[in-house]
Amino acid sequence: MHQKEQLIAELSTLLGPKNVLTDATALAVYECDAAPSFKALPDVVVFADTAQQVSDIVKLANKYNAPFIARGGGTGLSGGMLSVQGGIIIALNRMDRILEIDLENERAVVEPGVVNLLLTQAVQNQGYHYAPDPSSQKACTIGGNIAENSGGPHTLKYGVTSDHVLGLEVVLPDGEIIEFGGTVEETPGYDLRGVLIGSEGTFGIVTKAVVRLTRNPQAYQTALAVFETMDDASNAVSTIIGEGIIPAALEMMDSLVIRALEEAFQFGFPLDAEAILIVELDGIEAGMQNQTDRILEIFKQYTAREVSYAKDEAERQQIWKARKSAFGSFGRLAPNYITQDGVVPRTRLPKVLRRIAEISEKYQIPIANVFHAGDGNIHPIVLFNERDADQCERVEHVNMEILSVCAEVGGTITGEHGIGVEKMDYMPLIFSRADLQVMATVKDIFNPTGLCNPGKIFPTAESYAKLGLQPDTTGRF
Amino acid sequence: METISGTLHDKLRDIVGEAGILPETQIAAYTFDNCVPKAVVLPASVREMQDVLRFAAAQHLSVMPAGAGTKLGIGNLPQKVDMVLSTTRLNSVVEYEPADLTVTVEAGIRLAALQAELTKHRQFLPLNPPYADRCTLGGVVATNASGSLRLRHGTARNQVLGMHVVHANGNVVKSGGKVVKNVAGYDLNKLYIGAFGTLGIITEITLKLAPVPIQQVILTTQFQNIQEAVDTGLSIVRSQALPMFTNLFINSRSNLRPNATCISEKTPTLVVGFGGDTETVRWQRNHVQTIMEQNGGTSVTIREGESCQSLQDAMRKFPEVNGTSDDRIIAKVNLKRTDIAEFAQKAITPALQGLIPKIPEETGEMMALLGSGVLYLAIPIASVTDFQPLADTLTQLRQRAMAAQGNLIIEAAPPELKRHIDVWGSVGSMRGLMKQVKAKFDADSLLNPGRFVSSI
Repeated sequence: MHQKEQLIAELSTLLGPKNVLTDATALAVYECDAAPSFKALPDVVVFADTAQQVSDIVKLANKYNAPFIARGGGTGLSGGMLSVQGGIIIALNRMDRILEIDLENERAVVEPGVVNLLLTQAVQNQGYHYAPDPSSQKACTIGGNIAENSGGPHTLKYGVTSDHVLGLEVVLPDGEIIEFGGTVEETPGYDLRGVLIGSEGTFGIVTKAVVRLTRNPQAYQTALAVFETMDDASNAVSTIIGEGIIPAALEMMDSLVIRALEEAFQFGFPLDAEAILIVELDGIEAGMQNQTDRILEIFKQYTAREVSYAKDEAERQQIWKARKSAFGSFGRLAPNYITQDGVVPRTRLPKVLRRIAEISEKYQIPIANVFHAGDGNIHPIVLFNERDADQCERVEHVNMEILSVCAEVGGTITGEHGIGVEKMDYMPLIFSRADLQVMATVKDIFNPTGLCNPGKIFPTAESYAKLGLQPDTTGRF
Repeated sequence: METISGTLHDKLRDIVGEAGILPETQIAAYTFDNCVPKAVVLPASVREMQDVLRFAAAQHLSVMPAGAGTKLGIGNLPQKVDMVLSTTRLNSVVEYEPADLTVTVEAGIRLAALQAELTKHRQFLPLNPPYADRCTLGGVVATNASGSLRLRHGTARNQVLGMHVVHANGNVVKSGGKVVKNVAGYDLNKLYIGAFGTLGIITEITLKLAPVPIQQVILTTQFQNIQEAVDTGLSIVRSQALPMFTNLFINSRSNLRPNATCISEKTPTLVVGFGGDTETVRWQRNHVQTIMEQNGGTSVTIREGESCQSLQDAMRKFPEVNGTSDDRIIAKVNLKRTDIAEFAQKAITPALQGLIPKIPEETGEMMALLGSGVLYLAIPIASVTDFQPLADTLTQLRQRAMAAQGNLIIEAAPPELKRHIDVWGSVGSMRGLMKQVKAKFDADSLLNPGRFVSSI
C-alpha cells in the first residue's frame, strides 16, 4: 500500500487518533477470525460509529487505493474478514445500537455491531426472539451474520439469516450509502437485498438492518438420545424428516465430541456412546406429545440406547449449552482443528458419514462430527497439529476428499460458514467457470475496484491446479 | 408483415421443429397489452432454448419468456414484442427423493401437476399463487408470485434452493444447489426470482417442500368495521395459534362465489386457516374462535376437510384477471401490517373523495393478506373511458403507501392505463445498480424489454 502514513493521518483526523489502531500488538488481535489457521495482518484498524463515518473511511480507502474489510465479532469460520492484501479493517463493534423494536409488526431495526444474542435478550421478555442462532451467538454480530448468511441449529425450521432480513442500509464500495429492500415484505425490482446477504462483505458494508422478530413458541420438547452407531443415528434423522416431522432442531454429536465435551465440561454423557442426537420440537403444546411419541418410536426402531427429556427450561438450556459448547472443547483433542461445513441431502447422511470415517482412517487424521443433522449440514472437525508438516499435508487431502464427497452426492461445500479464504480452492467442485463468471460479473457491479474485501470466494489459477484442472486461459477462471 | 413472420417461422422451425411452434390459432393465450407476438416458440430442450436465444440475439428479436402465459400481462408496455418463448414443453420432474423433502423440476411443469405428484407422498410445495391451476412453476418463480400461505411458508425467495438459467447470450448457468442450506458463492437465486425473465430464462428449479398437514380448518367471521377486523386478525397473527393465513375481505363481490358464500358482501370478513395434527388444530380452532368473539367477530363459521380447499382456491383467485379483456385492475399494496386498516379505509372512504378524484363507481373490493402486509385492490373499470384520472388516483394511493414506507404495484391493467402510469413505481436509490445488472446480463435488452422497473 502506497502512502500508508498519509492514509493513517487522514483516518486519524477523520475519527480521532484513539479510533485508529496501528500498533503491531493491537493489530495482531485482528489478524484472524475463529478459523485461526489463516492469518494476515492489516495495516490499520479503525472504529466507526456511524454510516457516514464508514462512508468517509471507504472514500479515503479508495483515494489511497487501500483494501478495506468490515469486521464484526471476529467469530467467522472461513477467514472471511482476513486482510489478505493488508489495508484497513473497519471494526463495527461500536455500531451496536438497537434503533427500533416494533413488536406489532414483528420487526427490529439494528446497527451491524449488535450481538446476535443481545437482540434476542432485548425482546425475550415480550415473548420474542431473533431466530437465526449460530453457535457463536453470544459474540457474533448481526452484521457478520448478514455477510455470511449465517444459520444455526434452529434454521431447520425457521430458515437462515436471509429469511429474516427485510431491509439493509449499505455503504457501497465507492462510499455511497444506499438502502436495499425495506420495512415491508416486498419491494419492486430485483432482490438486491437477497444478493447482498451472504456476499461475505465483498459487496459493501451493512450499516443498518431491518430484521424480523419471531414469536417464542408456546412449548418446547427437547430430548437427547444415545445411539450405538452413527449409522443408526443418521438413519433416524432421515426417517424423522421423511415422515414429515420438522423439528425446530435436530443435532448430532459423535463419540469424539462427546469425549471432548466430557473432559472439558462434565455434562454426564456416556463415554462409550457412538452418537448422540438432540431433537427439539417447538410450537403449540396441544398435539406435540404425539410427535414426540412418534420420534421416540423411530429412535427405538434404530435401537437408541437411552432417551432423556428436558423436564424444564433449565434442563433444556443445559442440553443446548452442551451442544453450543462443543466448539470450545476441541482444544482438548488436538492443538489445531479445521471445521468443515458441507451439506448433503439428508438421505445421504449415513453414506457420507461412513466415507468421512474412511477418510480419517486412510490419512490417520482424527475427525470429530458435531452438526445440524436435520439440515444435512455436517461439521467434520479435522484435528491436527500445525507444527507437524506431514500432518498438515495429510489434512489438505482430508479436506479435499471430504468436500469432494459432499459435491459428489449432490451437496455443497459450505452451508453456513462461507467460502472466505478457506474454501476458495474448492469452488470448482460445485461451480463451472460459467457459473463463477456470472458471480464475478455481479461482484464487478457492486465492487468494480475490488478494494472491498479482496482475495475471497473466487478460485485462483492455483486452485484449479490443486484440483488437477486446467485454468481457463481466456476468461477469468 | 406476413412474409417477415413467415420467414421467422421457417427459421424457428429449423431450430425447434414443427411441434416447437405454437399454431396461430392458439396464440391468443400469449397476447398481452394488445400485442400479438410474431411467434410463440416452445423449445423441447435446453439446447433448443439456447439456440432460439442465440438466433434471437443475432436477429435483434425481443423474447418474452413465459410459462403458461398467465402473468404476461404484468409489467409496463413492452418496447418491442417479437416472440414469446414458453417453457411448457420442459415439464418433467428431474429428481424427487421424498425423504429429502426437496424436489428438482424443469421450469415448465405446471404447478398443479407437481402438487399432484407430491401429494402421493403427503408432501406439497407451500405456494398457492393466483392461477395455481394453470401456471407453471417457472412462471411462479420468475414473477415471485405468492398467495396466502406465505404467512407461514414465505415465497419462492424462501423456498428455492437452486436453479439453472439460460442467459440472453445462450449460456446456461447454475445458481445455488440442491441442498437446504448453501452459502457457497453469491446467492444469485435471489436475482432471478421476481426478475420477470429480464435476466435470463429459468429452466430447472430445486425447491424445499413441506409435509401436508394432517388436518385443516378455516374459521371465518364478520366485523362491523375494517379497523376491528384488522386488529383482530393481527392479534391472531401474533398469538400462539400460528395460523397458515389470515385474510381479510372488504366489499367482496365478484369472483369468489360460489365457493365462498361465507365471505360477506356487506361487512369485512376475516378468514383464518390452520393446518396440523388433529389435536393441535382443535386447540387452534378454539383459541382463535375465542379471540374472534372477544373482539366483536360475529357469525363465526368453521370449515373442515374438503371445503377448506375450495375456499382456499376461491381466495387464491382474487387477483386473477382474464387476459386484457377483464373489467377491473388489480393493485398490490405492500405495507406494514399495522398500516393496512388505515390505508384500506382511506382508499374507500368518502372522506378521501375530496382529496383524490373518485375511483369510478364502486370503489372496488379488497383482499388483505394481513400477516404479510399485502393489500390487493380490485377496481372496476368497465365504465372508464378516460384513464388519466384513474392513473392520478393510483399515483396518490401510491404516494400514500410510500409515505408509510410501503409501495403500490399495479399487477393488472389495460394498456390505456399503462400509458399514464408506471406499474411498478420507484425503486429509489437502487435504480442505478438495477440498471447495471440488466446491462451486464442482457446488454442488448432482448429479454422482456421495457416491461420491468426503471424501463428495464
